[in-house]
Amino acid sequence: MRKDSKIYQGPLDPRTIIGFYHVDLVYSEKAALQNVSFNIANGEFVCLTGPSGAGKSSILRLIAMDAFPTKGQVIVRGMLASHMNRRRIPQLRREIGFVFQDFRLLEDRSVFDNVAFAQLIVGVSKAEMQRNVMRVLTQVGLWDKRNRRPRTLSGGEQQRVAIARAMVNSPKILLADEPTGNLDPVVAQEIIDLLFRINDGGTCVIFSTHDHEIVKSFGQRVMVLEAGRLVSDELLRLSLDRQASLVDRMYRPGNEAARSARQQARFPEEVKRAQT
Amino acid sequence: MLRREQVGYLIRESLAGFHRRKLTTGVTILIMASALMVLSLFTLVTVNLGALVARAHTGIDLRVFMVDAVAPEMQPEMQLRFLAIDGVQSAVYIGKEEALAEFRRELGDDAVLLDTLDQNPLPASYHLTLTPVARTSQAAQAVRDQLATWPEVSDIAFSQAWVEVLERWTFLFRMASLVVGLIVFIAAVFVISNTVKLNVAASERVIEIMKLVGATNFFIRTPFLCEGMLEGMLGGMLAMAIVGTAHAVMSPQIQGLIFFTPLQVAGFIVFCVGLGLIGSWSAMRKYLKL
Repeated sequence: MRKDSKIYQGPLDPRTIIGFYHVDLVYSEKAALQNVSFNIANGEFVCLTGPSGAGKSSILRLIAMDAFPTKGQVIVRGMLASHMNRRRIPQLRREIGFVFQDFRLLEDRSVFDNVAFAQLIVGVSKAEMQRNVMRVLTQVGLWDKRNRRPRTLSGGEQQRVAIARAMVNSPKILLADEPTGNLDPVVAQEIIDLLFRINDGGTCVIFSTHDHEIVKSFGQRVMVLEAGRLVSDELLRLSLDRQASLVDRMYRPGNEAARSARQQARFPEEVKRAQT
Repeated sequence: MLRREQVGYLIRESLAGFHRRKLTTGVTILIMASALMVLSLFTLVTVNLGALVARAHTGIDLRVFMVDAVAPEMQPEMQLRFLAIDGVQSAVYIGKEEALAEFRRELGDDAVLLDTLDQNPLPASYHLTLTPVARTSQAAQAVRDQLATWPEVSDIAFSQAWVEVLERWTFLFRMASLVVGLIVFIAAVFVISNTVKLNVAASERVIEIMKLVGATNFFIRTPFLCEGMLEGMLGGMLAMAIVGTAHAVMSPQIQGLIFFTPLQVAGFIVFCVGLGLIGSWSAMRKYLKL
């Protein structure tokens, strides 16, 4: 099946970076996903929610092409999963960052080396590696702790190292699988804010969580899964304060045109108000 | 194309298994060396037997005893007939008197016993040497069979009859080496595969992270393959060192004992590296899902 990579030529929205079309996923005769369809645009921030076993991680695995649909089509960055040449998967993964609940850091390496490891794999020069690692560690506020080992850091800091590692190769998509699951609410909020800042830079963020409080505070597109089915896909309405904050963020310097256009489509009233 | 930093990483990771699991790796190399030592010993015995057979072949000759009815005057004609046989290089006539003189020399002090004889009982004979191509027990046997049909010939002595026995033993040892080689092959692949499996299991997290950040399968597999090849090479070198030492100790006592040529040693080490590669590759196929 997956002999050659094929660029999907179908009627896709040009801004679509991820597309699921009637996707079924069966693991050892158990349906993990059933008839799931959605599009995610470039630069979007999407929250995937639902109880444990609802299929959140399965969706992330399909996006990373760590699993392939039993039925239906998955398209990531124009690559059709069913026609994906396995040799090209590493190339695709270099455009995707991953963050997990359990951080998945290398305990025997320093913070700097953990982040630099991702650069080493893709093969950048030493000078470029130094520059990029410094950039992301500064962005997550851990440059001062670059020589520390992960176990000497707090949970929140370890998660920030994981985010720095995910971002160092400047991915187009960031997949965050329950990144706040092991963190207290305050630290969790810091991580979410960090993910929002990353999204501000134009990276599409897909965030999975089963925490309702976090979902309610989002004001972003929320997809709800239940027993492998997508039961809801909508934009949550927020308090006026939260909307104002989001609009404010949208017009901060550094925002990209694609994201602005998307936000304008999503929040026409708020954007109009902000402009006047 | 790999960058210098990436090559450095691959080398470091290839050696990391040795550092992390010193005991397991050490035991693996020792087991490998023991198995390979048995194989190299068998091979060395085969090589030595082969050399012995080759040396023996150069001395293969026939002694053809004539019936008394053949007069000495017929000697030139007989000589021509011998030389006409395919595979005969030379035919030297040994007359009755000459044979007696030779026998007397062999008897030494007991030669006086021969004085009691009324007449010379020894027959005249021909000493046949064979051409290099015919210096095998098989070819010598063919010449012998042909001569046996001659009425002038009373008996034929095949002076190197033991060569046949030697050839049989060489063949047996060669077969045994093949069987031992096959067993060692399976054992070595299994042992290395097991060690690499442990290393794969211990490196699960690194492998997972490598996959996540887009490492190619080649990049993930290379350190494990190199580890297996290194283990094979060290096992082979250790086995060769032990066999070489044993040879050095024994060679003054056993004349003509030969050792592998440098090319054969290099070939053996390459074989061991290959064993390591196959072992680690099989572990990779089973336990490293990419």
